Amino acid sequence: MIRTLDRLIPALSRGVTLAAVMVLIAMLPWISGRDPALSILRARMGDQDATPEALAAIRDKLGLAAGPVQHMRDWITGLLQGDWGTSWISGAPVLAGTLKALLVSLTLMSAAFGVAVVAAILLAWPTMRRGLRGRDTHSAGAVAAILTAMPEFTLSALFLVVFSVWLAWFPPYGWGSAGHIVLPALALGLPGGGLLGRLLTNAIAATFHERWIATWAVAGFTRGQIARAVLRRSLPALMPQIGMIVVAMTGGAIAVEQVFSIPGLGRAVLGAASAQDLPALQAGILILLVNALAIGVTVNLIRVGLLGRALQMRALPVPQIASPPPSGRLWLVPVVVLILLAALVMAGLPRDAYSSQFIRLQPPGLALPLGADGLGRDVLARIAHGAVSTIGMAAFVTLISLVVGLGIGLMPRIAIGLIEVTKATPPTIAALIVVAAMGPSALGAVIAVSAVAWAPLAAHTAALVSEARAQPHVRIAPILGVGPLRLIPRSILPAVFGPVLRHAMLRLPGNALALAGLGFLGLGARPPAPEWGLILADALPYVERAPLSVLTPVAALALMSVLGVSLASLSRCHFSISLHIWKKYMKNPDNIAFNFNVLSRVCKRFGS
Amino acid sequence: MTLLSVRDLSLSYPLPRRSWRRSAPVRALHGLSFEMGEGERVGLVGMSGSGKSSLLRCLLAMEPAATGQVLLRGRPVAAGSVAALRWYRRAVQYVPQDPIASLEPRMTVAQSVAEPLLRLRVDCDPMRRAEEALESVGLDHRFLRRRPDELSGGQAQRVAIARAIATRPSLLLTDEPVSGLDMTSRVQVVEVLRHLSEVHGTAILMVSHDISVVAGLCRRAMVMDGGRIVEDRPVAAMLRDPHHPHTSELLNAAPPMTAAA
Repeated sequence: MIRTLDRLIPALSRGVTLAAVMVLIAMLPWISGRDPALSILRARMGDQDATPEALAAIRDKLGLAAGPVQHMRDWITGLLQGDWGTSWISGAPVLAGTLKALLVSLTLMSAAFGVAVVAAILLAWPTMRRGLRGRDTHSAGAVAAILTAMPEFTLSALFLVVFSVWLAWFPPYGWGSAGHIVLPALALGLPGGGLLGRLLTNAIAATFHERWIATWAVAGFTRGQIARAVLRRSLPALMPQIGMIVVAMTGGAIAVEQVFSIPGLGRAVLGAASAQDLPALQAGILILLVNALAIGVTVNLIRVGLLGRALQMRALPVPQIASPPPSGRLWLVPVVVLILLAALVMAGLPRDAYSSQFIRLQPPGLALPLGADGLGRDVLARIAHGAVSTIGMAAFVTLISLVVGLGIGLMPRIAIGLIEVTKATPPTIAALIVVAAMGPSALGAVIAVSAVAWAPLAAHTAALVSEARAQPHVRIAPILGVGPLRLIPRSILPAVFGPVLRHAMLRLPGNALALAGLGFLGLGARPPAPEWGLILADALPYVERAPLSVLTPVAALALMSVLGVSLASLSRCHFSISLHIWKKYMKNPDNIAFNFNVLSRVCKRFGS
Repeated sequence: MTLLSVRDLSLSYPLPRRSWRRSAPVRALHGLSFEMGEGERVGLVGMSGSGKSSLLRCLLAMEPAATGQVLLRGRPVAAGSVAALRWYRRAVQYVPQDPIASLEPRMTVAQSVAEPLLRLRVDCDPMRRAEEALESVGLDHRFLRRRPDELSGGQAQRVAIARAIATRPSLLLTDEPVSGLDMTSRVQVVEVLRHLSEVHGTAILMVSHDISVVAGLCRRAMVMDGGRIVEDRPVAAMLRDPHHPHTSELLNAAPPMTAAA
């Protein structure tokens, strides 16, 4: 009985989490604390006075008078019957518009996924070829790192400047022709493609170091057959990562749609958030979340299908994905980037970031090294002040996510549903919920990013905890009278804290970018705060007259992401030792001959 | 006088699910019964998979038994919370197989040995008692401040024994206490265990797959196979004339240590 209950806990946890998310979304109109009747009145009947009678009539019509619990029940039964509510702004049913926008977004995301797959294949191709020729397999290099480095909204702005404004190859915004989809798909697909390519390359390199490759080669399998087997062996380990990349795309799509003015779901949701049109917002958030969950489930099914029976038998060791050993020069990149950022801050901090003391869009000069923005403010000063506040907020987010991640990771079985759902939530979607509840603000952005940034740390903590619990000195603890609570400070936390702290620090640049992304979308810091995302968003309307004002924040954000990626690749553990032994082994002709002898004996026995 | 009695003990483990069907649980113990007297030294031998470790886990109250009972001086024991089992832990302690790994790497020897005294609320001065226990296994005060990574295998096993005897238990359960040690340390550890048992009257149940180690310490041995006790007799008689085919197999696998010495 207790055992059955124990086994049900993860399933229960998932169910409870999903139910809680549903309730949270359903309750958004009540959590926001604003009188929806008033905003409807303003939006639809601007000329009418806000008399108590008029407000009461609207409340009655919306079914808001019955109170939150009744409203929530109505909303959820409505969902099941296909009635997702009517927009507070236009009065039109929400579902039809949302589905139309979803179709646009799915088209964009499919194109972007195609871009990502092509990019990954191009990146992994040299490694595959070297491996098939029996040469040492290299791992992904600088190109992949640079592709991974840029967040989607930065890449979008960059492409807009270069390909639409300067080269005029593609239309800058809109939707409808084939030309319209190229830049958005590239901006959305390349970062994921870079990451996917890196992971694929490393997985392929690791697979080529397994012994069966040599055996197959000696046995006369063709290169094509070996290549297929290597792929089949490498992909299952990648599937969870692919899932994360595609889920991140649902968040990135919001920013890309905003930059290129694509009438997709993301833009619709952003519009609904800024207009406080909660029924539309609720429907959009729900569909985005369902989309992310569906991706997660699909990816897991594909992984199970690829592994087949081997997974069920628990007999298949999944190849370890290893990264290249860090060389001494790798330190150079983060150090140089840090120096550049520090120089930027030192140069700009003494300057005035708020007053409009220059001519609008004044070009750079000696007194104004980076020019002025659309309001005549000093761009250098704004970037420098923005660096301090963005990095400060990111540090705060990192601290919160560390504490929460450690706390939740200590009880992984109960929290598994929460961890999974949070991992499937991009920060942008979290921010939409926060904005719906409390309006856009810098604090809201911090809350939104913290609300999702803890999940990877919790997953890491959970893995380390189960490792620590398997240690003999922890297993013996109950016999010595050490209870489960005392075990945490005695053995678990000391074993877990160091690695998770390092992991959290590595995520600081990523958190800074997420905050900037929210600022860019208008879901974070408010003007006139000198926040990087906000600076970029302010500059975009002037992209044709003053491309430099867009490129400056893009460059700053790119520096931040290069910092993040280079730090992360420094910390990866490597497989140089096993590689070394294997190379020595293969250099000795006796060993290869021995392999061949064994193989021919085996073949004879089975009569083939 | 009876110290420990085990009556009709069975245990089964659920297998991990394969696909959607639930498979039948594996039965690890089939209705075991035996008794141990005060101060008695008993060896428990068997191949891996014979159920020795499962029995040990039941005796350590780490695993709820499917049926049957474990009684210590007539008082029943069942797996439960740390607080509910303090009385049992004070009376029954454990020496694990892997001594270095079983010591918390961040704690000094003195802290490790004193820990059960504090946690099990033994009425004594923990540091004094820990020093005494370490002395009785032949480790002097120089070892008090060392950490596990500064100990040899034999020293670590003696620390683990000191930790187990610090509460002055009436029964010591040991799981392959010498299997990871070199020959000199083996003899030392067996001598320490024999000395403790003779001086303090501590009963010892020693689990081993090596019947020669058992012969060096115990007068009585039990042979397990397939979750059952298949032979339970004095060691000397067993060595001369094994009844169960499984026992002879075990004898052939290891020449007796007594003969070698």
